[in-house]
Amino acid sequence: MTVRTIFLGAVILLTTPGLVATTAAPADKSFTRATANLAPNDPAGQWTRQARDYANTRYSPLTQINKKNVGRLRIAWSFSDGQMYGHEGAPLVVGDTMYVVTPYPNIAYALDLSKAGAPIKWVFQPNPDPRSIGEACCDKVLRGWAYADGKLIYNLLDDHTVAVDAQTGKEVWRVLLDDVSKGPTMTQAAFVVGDKVFVGSSGGELGTNGWFQALDVQDGHTIWKAFTNGPDAGALIGPDFKPFYPWMKGKDLGVSTWPGEMWKQGASAPWGWVSYDPDLNEIYYGTSNPGPRVPSQRPGLNLWSSAVFARDADTGQAKWAYQFTPHDEWDYDGVNENVLIDIPWKGAQRKVMVHFNRNGFAYTIDRTTGEVLVAKPFGLENWAKEVDLKTGMPVVNDAAHPVVEKKVENICPPDIGVKNWNPSAFSPRTGLLYAGVFNSCMDLTNHVVQYIPGATYDGMEMQRHAGPGGNWGEFIAWDPVQGKRVWSIKENLYVWSGAVVTGSDLVFYGTMDGWFRAVDARTGKVLWSQKLGSGITAAPMTFLGPDKRQYVAVYAGVGGGAGVIRREKGFMPGGNTLYVFSVDGSGIGTGNSQLISQAGAAAPVSVPPAAAHN
Amino acid sequence: MKQVVLAVLFMVTPALAPLAIAQVTPDTPNPVGGNADAIEAGHALFGKMNCAGCHSYDLTGGMGPDLTDASWLYGGKPGEIFHTIAEGTPRGMPAWKDKLTSDQIWQLVSYIQSKKAN
Repeated sequence: MTVRTIFLGAVILLTTPGLVATTAAPADKSFTRATANLAPNDPAGQWTRQARDYANTRYSPLTQINKKNVGRLRIAWSFSDGQMYGHEGAPLVVGDTMYVVTPYPNIAYALDLSKAGAPIKWVFQPNPDPRSIGEACCDKVLRGWAYADGKLIYNLLDDHTVAVDAQTGKEVWRVLLDDVSKGPTMTQAAFVVGDKVFVGSSGGELGTNGWFQALDVQDGHTIWKAFTNGPDAGALIGPDFKPFYPWMKGKDLGVSTWPGEMWKQGASAPWGWVSYDPDLNEIYYGTSNPGPRVPSQRPGLNLWSSAVFARDADTGQAKWAYQFTPHDEWDYDGVNENVLIDIPWKGAQRKVMVHFNRNGFAYTIDRTTGEVLVAKPFGLENWAKEVDLKTGMPVVNDAAHPVVEKKVENICPPDIGVKNWNPSAFSPRTGLLYAGVFNSCMDLTNHVVQYIPGATYDGMEMQRHAGPGGNWGEFIAWDPVQGKRVWSIKENLYVWSGAVVTGSDLVFYGTMDGWFRAVDARTGKVLWSQKLGSGITAAPMTFLGPDKRQYVAVYAGVGGGAGVIRREKGFMPGGNTLYVFSVDGSGIGTGNSQLISQAGAAAPVSVPPAAAHN
Repeated sequence: MKQVVLAVLFMVTPALAPLAIAQVTPDTPNPVGGNADAIEAGHALFGKMNCAGCHSYDLTGGMGPDLTDASWLYGGKPGEIFHTIAEGTPRGMPAWKDKLTSDQIWQLVSYIQSKKAN
């Protein structure tokens, strides 16, 4: 062995996380034997809901693009929608049509995949109230949209949900769900099961009164509505409610765990992801931080902020809840995705959900009871020593409590967490989850705030800084049974994109400095990277075109909460381009067929720019 | 001596009396521009009225625009900033004329002027 090969070997050992994987699994074996119900089992080539399935796995069974040919991925076509706020959602593909919706002003486009270059089939402009721009806390985003019953259904920033005819682009119905002038907005990805659309409010920093509701797919009318806080009646907490831990049992805790009537401005807005278990007929969703963000102003547990609810999908009646961060002092929220999987646990199969909380703990929770089975740090955190599995309570580090008008240094993570709303993916082949995560801390000074309707209700002054290593982000593979990382890839900035994992064990994710990557799901080895025109804070997806060819698509349009580090080196300007990749960039109308399609056109004539307007 | 001071006050007070909110034009000068007490009072109001939640405690923006750069969506002259605070904007900046006096708005303008690039 020469010096050169020794050196290379050392570099590979240091930089290829796959080689330090602690759990070895042969090429086709699962690391954990975790599985998932992939209902509604859509055709493999379709992607009709944001997370592809009810369980929120973002797993695609497609295998055309594989480890051998992934290095040949090239752009097949692209599409710019012209809107400059952060892009967060994944395109949907239903039949031969792709649907995308922009951030504010929430314009919907249907793109015809059966034609060369995927031309626009229709455009829908809902013209939301511009006042909503000033009320949306974290950029003017939309995290996704839904397809159901021949309609494209999504939320508008100004508190409407709208349904559009998927064939014609004509509005079918529009319902008003709140008053934007008081602070609430809607940025959540509508989620459809059967005849119901599930939507939640945004506004954790605006003194809102968070709610979640089921609308009728046919006409948008409210079937049931559950406030997060307040009396049990309004929160749809009744005889079916059986939280696992005693401290969440009692009457009207959504009132009594707050001072006076502060629950009315207690936010706890369900702005994140919804998942559904068809066997239990239950939906699961999380709630945001309590308002105001200054904890000394609201002594008490502040239920049901920073928590997860299990509810009957038909009635909305709560089955159980679990508050991840009691009396949340750091804005950790509880809205991140709940990925529904089944795991072997002490000799039996357990139905669980896996939840990467902003507070830095990854929870594996029995979704039939709310019992926490595993709660382990998946990244840098120092606010809690551990989560006590007997009580379900975190053991808070005394040094992490904020103090009014005093800077408390080096609390990890900062408000935006170890991971934010950016959705993870689960592979039933590897039994692992894949997630973009953050490595950072904050110096925090709290200021007492008063409630003023329509203004922020916040009070946290922060300086955020990267954690040890200097890298702001990572992309990790997570074992949800043992509660540990299997591999990780360091990235310069926060990894704030979603992930998708495929049947050929490829994971796709994007970085905020504009790299879109394909990674070996078993080893973490980067197999392909493409620099895009903006940072990536959207969720990628994959589909089969009408030509039966596999494509991978992702928006490059950095924004949203990621803007908190917009002044860091390498942070890219905003963008609005959807990139669609295929092997060799092939697609309908490319290559020889593109020449054929142009055969009848007139020969191109060179026109000087100045003459073009004459 | 006391009479002299009073006489001087009498003479200058009409000029310093703040205009009613509706009378402020884009070219109205800030009657307390550069005044250290006004800047400090504006600083306090900036926190108390939750301005910092949108524009951040260092005024560099976040949810709302940066107030320290040279880019002004609704004009960066003192009278224009006054008008934006008083009336709000179509893009969701609340109107503060019912919650703040004309004096207080000018104090906020003074504080913003002390931080902005030009």
